[in-house]
Amino acid sequence: MALIELQEVSKLYGFGDATVLALDEVILSVDKGEFVAVMGPSGSGKTTLMNVIGLLDRPTHGSYLLDGRNVARRRPNQQAKVRRDRIGFVFQSYNLLARLSVLENVALPLAYKGMTPVRRQKRASDILELVGLRDREYFMPRQLSGGQAQRVAIARALINKPSIIIADEPTGNLDSTDSKVVMELLADIHRQGNTILLVTHNPELTRYANRVIYMHDGMIVGDEQTAIGNMAKGARRTHFQRRKVTDDEIVEGVSALMRDVPGKELASKPKKKAKRGRPRTKKRPVGRPAGHRLKAGSRQRREKAKKR
Amino acid sequence: MWSGNFKTAIGNLRANKGRSMLTMMGIIIGVSSVVTVVSLGEGLKHQVTGQINQLGSNVITIRSGKLVGNGSGIGGLNLLAFLSTSTLTDQDVQAITKLSSVNSVVPIDFVGSSAGSDKRQLDNIFVVGTSSKMADLLHQKVAYGSFFESDDSTNKVVIGSSIAEELLDELNPVGHSVKISGATFVVQGVLAPSSGGLLSVAQTDFNSAVFMPLKNARSLTNGRTNILQILAKSNGDELDIAVNDISTALQKTHGGQTDFTVLKQYELLGIAGNIVNTITRFISGIAAISLLVGGIGIMDIMLVSVSERTREIGIRKAIGATNRQILNQFLIEGLALTLGGGVIGVIASLIINGVLRVYTSLQPAITLQIFIIAVGVSVAVGITFSVTPALKAARKNPIDALRNE
Repeated sequence: MALIELQEVSKLYGFGDATVLALDEVILSVDKGEFVAVMGPSGSGKTTLMNVIGLLDRPTHGSYLLDGRNVARRRPNQQAKVRRDRIGFVFQSYNLLARLSVLENVALPLAYKGMTPVRRQKRASDILELVGLRDREYFMPRQLSGGQAQRVAIARALINKPSIIIADEPTGNLDSTDSKVVMELLADIHRQGNTILLVTHNPELTRYANRVIYMHDGMIVGDEQTAIGNMAKGARRTHFQRRKVTDDEIVEGVSALMRDVPGKELASKPKKKAKRGRPRTKKRPVGRPAGHRLKAGSRQRREKAKKR
Repeated sequence: MWSGNFKTAIGNLRANKGRSMLTMMGIIIGVSSVVTVVSLGEGLKHQVTGQINQLGSNVITIRSGKLVGNGSGIGGLNLLAFLSTSTLTDQDVQAITKLSSVNSVVPIDFVGSSAGSDKRQLDNIFVVGTSSKMADLLHQKVAYGSFFESDDSTNKVVIGSSIAEELLDELNPVGHSVKISGATFVVQGVLAPSSGGLLSVAQTDFNSAVFMPLKNARSLTNGRTNILQILAKSNGDELDIAVNDISTALQKTHGGQTDFTVLKQYELLGIAGNIVNTITRFISGIAAISLLVGGIGIMDIMLVSVSERTREIGIRKAIGATNRQILNQFLIEGLALTLGGGVIGVIASLIINGVLRVYTSLQPAITLQIFIIAVGVSVAVGITFSVTPALKAARKNPIDALRNE
């Protein structure tokens, strides 16, 4: 059974004419132990997807099974407990509490679990050892460099032994050296059997992932298995295609935008199937290993495809 | 969890030291003023009851005016009766003297006057016109010289201890002469300092009064003939009989009217206590308004704190804090503010009490009860005014809170 199972999850913001479709019937399943990189342009719904998976946000429609249990409709307090016990967050801006020491920051999730101070500090100490910051225990967050702060954040995410670690552009504020340290740490954590979801703009970082998902307009438009150490093909294409796009092309409007969709080829499979008119829920890409099913596409997308 | 929350709360309050102090100020002022007023009231009650008890339980007080049933007036005592002309006269005194159940009778009348000596002049003193038995009846000790022995007109007076010091600059001024309302008198005795406070039986401070026979006092006021109050002492334990006898006798002399009041000691105690209680409650009610204002100040600063720390709330929720845990965090912070304010307020009121004791004749009494109430009230204020901000914090949507800068 998949660890994460999103079934036609949609997220709408706003009302009436101002409604924005942030997630459009997304279907996704992630197995335990995967390192999934999520890529896509700004506003493509990557962060919304992470927030839904991390139970920070509720989907408007659809269901979200975490380890086989539907958690999307639980009460806020129950969701808080799921976040505490099963999900670890690493944010772009570290999000450490400035008034707490490094040790207290790392130990905070355990405090919310009700663990005694002595035990949780010991545990936090051990985790800090793991990320190589044992000697910074009593520093305040402002005394740390960006890379160190992010490693502390990772330690905090790890402390409850979560099922998933969600890293939303963890290297966005870091220079290349710090980025490398942080990514190596995440890779290390992945090697120990943890599941990681990584949102990134940087194609280079797909080297650490064994699966890359491309998003656009709230839909998953591509899903690619890669070997760890290699840059994903789609990512490289985006990488190079991007450079070709001129300002003129952008002002052409939607069609120009569509030309820039990363992983267009990959997304073509569902399109074909849509033409065949099979019920969407039963679509299953042939030749993919179980658990790496791609279910992308929606009515909206199909209509656009037809027009073209 | 709670100790951790408390530590965090103190840390957060420390981070905004100036703001926390100013917010606490409201509570400090409120608590210290309430505690001071209540302890002043307590002290006053102690003084009054102490003085009344000193008289002995078989002393009966007869006052002019009718005691108004229940409720009307303060503690059933018609305060205005004091202002109107007294209905008690010499005949009443004689009638009471004849009763077999009464041991001794002392009339008491006050005349406001001024006194002078060769050294200085004192305005606003009380001349008490009374009889020679007064010192005995009130168990009032004489420090120097003696109390006057006869009720006849003489030029001898007995003075209170403060008058002796202030007017004559001497502890033992027996034999000196003083001028009272133009007439010259010789000091025959000085009373020992009495524990008299503001409200005594005679509604005056014996320490700053001049005592002389009733007839003399009357000659100072152009022959007014009524008596403000009469004190009588019953024989042994015939207290109730004496009260009845006095009532009957006075009704006769007053032509069947009951325009007087006969009070036993404990009734007087009750009345004095009631008056003090009512005044204390009234003033502490006013002081409590500042506590309310302080509470609103706390609520204000807590709301500011919640919106300032929206992002922190978001982070805490993201790593698994439940609504309850966020609520507790902010409740405890508000509680720490008010509890701190309450404790500092109590300390401040202790200092104020000390100052009052040293520089005034007031003797505030702080009891454990007052402490507990003060701290309890500040905790209640803390919780009441922190609930709204804490709920606001707890109900924040994690994702919106995280996006907040």
